[in-house]
Amino acid sequence: MNASALKIGTSHPRGDAVAKAAGTERYAADLYPQGCLWAGAVRSHQACGRIISIDTTAAAALPGVVKVLTAADVVASNRQGIIHKDMPVLCDDLVRYCGDPLALVLAETKEALQRGMSAVQLQLEPLPGLFDLDSALAADAPLIHEDKPGNLLAQASICKGTGLDGFDACSVVVEGSFSTPVQAHAFLETESGVARLEEDGGLLMEVSTQSPFRDRFEISHALGIPWGKIRIVAPSLGGGFGGKDGATVQCLLGLAAQHADGRWVRMQWDREESFKAGYKRHACRMEYKLGAAADGTLQALHAKLWYDTGAYAHLGAEVMELGMEHAGGPYRIPHTLIEGWCVYTNNPTAGAMRAFGVCQATFGFESMMDLLAAKLGMDPLELRLKNALVRGDENCAGMRLTTSTGIKTCLEQLQQHPFWQDREVWKAASPAYKKRGIGLASVFNAAGYGGGVRDAATAKIELTPEGTFLIHNAVTDMGQGNSSAFLQIAGHILSQDASRVLLKQPDTRTAYPSGSSSAGRTTYTFGKALITATEELKARLLNWAGMILFLQDNDGLELQPGRVLHQPSQKEVSLVALAGYMQPEERVCLGQYVAPTCKEVPPTAKGFFIGFPHVIFGYGAHLVRLEVDSLTGQLTVCDYLAVTDGGRVLNPGMFDQQVQGGVAQGLGYALMEDFTVRDGVVKTPDFATYLIPGSLDIPEIISIAAQGEPEETGPFGMKGIGEVAMNGPLPAVANAVADACGVRLCHGPLTPQRVLAGVKG
Amino acid sequence: MWATMTQCTDRCKRQISFPVTIEELFAVQEQQPEARIMAGGTDLLVALRHGPQDTRPIICLERIEELRRIDELPDNSVSIGAAVTFGSIVRSPLLKARYSLLTQAASTVGGPAIRNMASIGGNIVTASPAADSLPALYLLDAQLELRSTTGSRTMAIAEFMLGPRRTLLQPGEIISRIILPPAQDWSIQLFEKVGRRKSLAIAVASLAAMLRLAADGTVVEARFAWGSVGPTVLRCPAAEALLKGQPLSEAVLTEAAALVQDAVSPIDDIRASADYRRTVAGNLLLRLVA
Amino acid sequence: MTIRFNLNSIPTECDCPSDRRVIDLLREDLGLTGSKEGCGTGECGACTILVDGVPKLACLMLAAQLEGTQVETVEALQQTDQGRALMTAFAEEGAVQCGYCIPGMEMASLALLRQEEPLNREQIKEGLSGNLCRCTGYVKIVDAVERAVQECCKI
Repeated sequence: MNASALKIGTSHPRGDAVAKAAGTERYAADLYPQGCLWAGAVRSHQACGRIISIDTTAAAALPGVVKVLTAADVVASNRQGIIHKDMPVLCDDLVRYCGDPLALVLAETKEALQRGMSAVQLQLEPLPGLFDLDSALAADAPLIHEDKPGNLLAQASICKGTGLDGFDACSVVVEGSFSTPVQAHAFLETESGVARLEEDGGLLMEVSTQSPFRDRFEISHALGIPWGKIRIVAPSLGGGFGGKDGATVQCLLGLAAQHADGRWVRMQWDREESFKAGYKRHACRMEYKLGAAADGTLQALHAKLWYDTGAYAHLGAEVMELGMEHAGGPYRIPHTLIEGWCVYTNNPTAGAMRAFGVCQATFGFESMMDLLAAKLGMDPLELRLKNALVRGDENCAGMRLTTSTGIKTCLEQLQQHPFWQDREVWKAASPAYKKRGIGLASVFNAAGYGGGVRDAATAKIELTPEGTFLIHNAVTDMGQGNSSAFLQIAGHILSQDASRVLLKQPDTRTAYPSGSSSAGRTTYTFGKALITATEELKARLLNWAGMILFLQDNDGLELQPGRVLHQPSQKEVSLVALAGYMQPEERVCLGQYVAPTCKEVPPTAKGFFIGFPHVIFGYGAHLVRLEVDSLTGQLTVCDYLAVTDGGRVLNPGMFDQQVQGGVAQGLGYALMEDFTVRDGVVKTPDFATYLIPGSLDIPEIISIAAQGEPEETGPFGMKGIGEVAMNGPLPAVANAVADACGVRLCHGPLTPQRVLAGVKG
Repeated sequence: MWATMTQCTDRCKRQISFPVTIEELFAVQEQQPEARIMAGGTDLLVALRHGPQDTRPIICLERIEELRRIDELPDNSVSIGAAVTFGSIVRSPLLKARYSLLTQAASTVGGPAIRNMASIGGNIVTASPAADSLPALYLLDAQLELRSTTGSRTMAIAEFMLGPRRTLLQPGEIISRIILPPAQDWSIQLFEKVGRRKSLAIAVASLAAMLRLAADGTVVEARFAWGSVGPTVLRCPAAEALLKGQPLSEAVLTEAAALVQDAVSPIDDIRASADYRRTVAGNLLLRLVA
Repeated sequence: MTIRFNLNSIPTECDCPSDRRVIDLLREDLGLTGSKEGCGTGECGACTILVDGVPKLACLMLAAQLEGTQVETVEALQQTDQGRALMTAFAEEGAVQCGYCIPGMEMASLALLRQEEPLNREQIKEGLSGNLCRCTGYVKIVDAVERAVQECCKI
């Protein structure tokens, strides 16, 4: 039997890899139900305006057009949003960004849909728009949402130690202002799904989503369908990165289904619509001041962060809060004042994206560390090592760290690497008109929802009549591989090989609420619940086998692929046989888990709502080697090294996937990605203008797991590392450019134009 | 075994023809004077996606054998059919041996699949200021053969190009061939495209350079052409003249770069500022001594 | 119009509008959803197919252009040694994350394998430079193609 059991700590191929490589994996975008209708949203071409009229008559009269819906057709609140319900499914009064949906067309074909959409007549009274932080924060600025004075979605502060008084004792103080661009998720599968109304009035939807269980509440709230009657099925996603957390097509599709007489309706945004109407990473402006003693010991920090959240809330407040929680880097700083503002504008809506809030602040903070090292005349790695947090320290937000804290280990391992040891030799070998530089960044990223939110999961695993195991996954796999980790966890506990452990992707009818696939909590929280469920099932199997084999206890009994074996007697019973003996309900086990959260928000923090603070963090130390072309300002990233503390590694291959992917997305953010909006109009609506890195832009990325301690609270000692790698590239590249040519760039992305302008002076 | 698909619900919006000779092409065109000509489709089909409803017929060049050939002519010049793809150009040993400048330029177009579709004729007719093949074709003195029902005419590429998206192509006329005069013995042929990423990029600035050096290293003849720094390809005779008789050095190239920076007329757009393009246009000359 | 072509070695006859995009013909009419559409403008490569052995983009081709051609999509990989070697290498080397770019990557890679030449990593990256991936950082995709090239060059 060629069947080695799945084992924690081993690089088994992913469970979904074969189907994906064969092109047979079915994504939501691959669903074309027989006879389905096509739905499409007619969107505003103005960024800010009052609706005068929406004339649907001509469109509705076109052949092939079935229905044209407006806000008047929405019977319930017509508002969606994860926490703050401020986003209309179809606008009823105002449009707040260029792309706000005004009408929904249902048609028999894609072509008829196009004709119908262009025949809807919109009349909008233009209103002055607010397109940047300053105009939105101006005292006389019009309000984008009437109930949000000052156009502030959120405002918060953290004051630790003596706050700004901490600067009095500093020998050295550096200051800097930074900004980061809007980034698009640019997943290759655009927002898509199919839905229909069932005979009992319930809604069935198969959709590309990171949050199938929460989607039910959003749809229910907006459209008035009882959430218990909404069934969401979430197949594998063609990428998510946060952009499919919260409703994209869901409410529009649900509304379409309500008016489709039980027929299937299909909606898929094209690339341009995805860029225009999909959520984005917040642009951020930062002001930093950092002080230290003469020996480099950090003393005081003042950070001010402004996040542009666009027209609607989505998770903007939580994004700002997380950025603030990380604004001081993974370092000990006794005195901090961190202030944050999350500001509404008439730009496209910003929401969740991998390492939300944090990768902005990391650019500011890790640039400051190099500025400080330069002013102190200190080695930048020494400065980081000297101040790196260790377990028991208080972080910049005033939280005492009680869980695994591996930043020091990461930095020490980086220090031993030839890229660091041989840096001067490498730099000296620059070709003509190229300048070589090496840059560092220390990174960290919280895992879990954070304070005030129940971070729970319920896992379900069953022994099938065929003697295989089926895991009912409840947290979407958007590509990060959590479902493969679940197969490995169950296979490891049950000593089964890959062919005997199967997984069903989330279906709210057969799985249990387990939160969203996000926040570095997906494998962690559901994985813990799955361990409980699987161990219970294992105990039942051993018990049954023991009864059948007439054994007084479990001594010598072990699960093996396809069977339970009594080693001493070599007697066995197959899993198929066991499945036959067991009652159906006995073959199914549930397990649940609630992740640790902090109940006591430090008194130093003001204005925080939910999602703060956190107790578990992943850490990393990054190094980049690059060449600056002094003729063109182009950057060539030659090598990238990432040492990552994710606790114990369950699957080294998948661990590297997450790190390499995060670094690549971070390099895109560092080098080229710049979602550009002028006066509310998107200037980068496609892949010809919004550039993401190709195979020639990304170097070999070396991923090393830190030889640190396991995270005791996590499944088999792991903690989430899906986000942390995203944070390093922008500051590391900026630090390397400064190292190469003495130019400090403070505004991302670091385009050839900005680099060359810096080199020219 | 025959797999047969189900009936499509929407019927044909437009006629598409695949003439196999140029004569056939003109016959179709006479019946459908409003028809669009499609070579690789990489520009046209993107434009149709974004544009308003357009149901004009399409005439495809891809099956006209004569337009798909690369031939050496008796006088040692080389003829490239207008529908020859950039992929075919990159893979042609003949072109690589004699006109490596064009091979280099062709290899920077889009990505591999785009190069297998996009044609050199389309690149010329589209007349984008950022067209990757144009600077090289200028320096190689490419002659365009234009055909219509009334006959054919030939003109230099520099004469043909009027400005962004404007050429001397007349209604009813097509580019049939690009003729490269017999290759000369150049010491250096260099093409560099500056984009915002390393593939699938639109040129922010590009330089094509050909130099003939004497045995002692002094410049006998220099030819330069720039893309993306003006309405169409830019030459700079003053910079070329400056180099003549000089050894290639950082000093003389820096001096030439200043002349170039005065001569270009770039624009600001989403990809780069005019100032950046101007600086880079000059700086690229220094690559000759890198 | 009626279009006849060979699709993954199967003679295929379609009645469809001549200007239907090939990606729609494959996915919606013929049910071959392995080829993906990521952008519709030829910028991402997710719809890469082989037409007469040459990698092309199904989002920038019209159905009529297929007349008389040999078309290969990801669904044909299982038919050949090279195709199977590619799929195995992609799966086992960890080249697959969300997987949406993978069919296009594999078809571009298949064209590389057919050159039957040893390729270094830089050449492989060049060959894949028209295919965007948002998940992997390309490292493991290049690993997979490198392995497939080595295996197939041995044969």
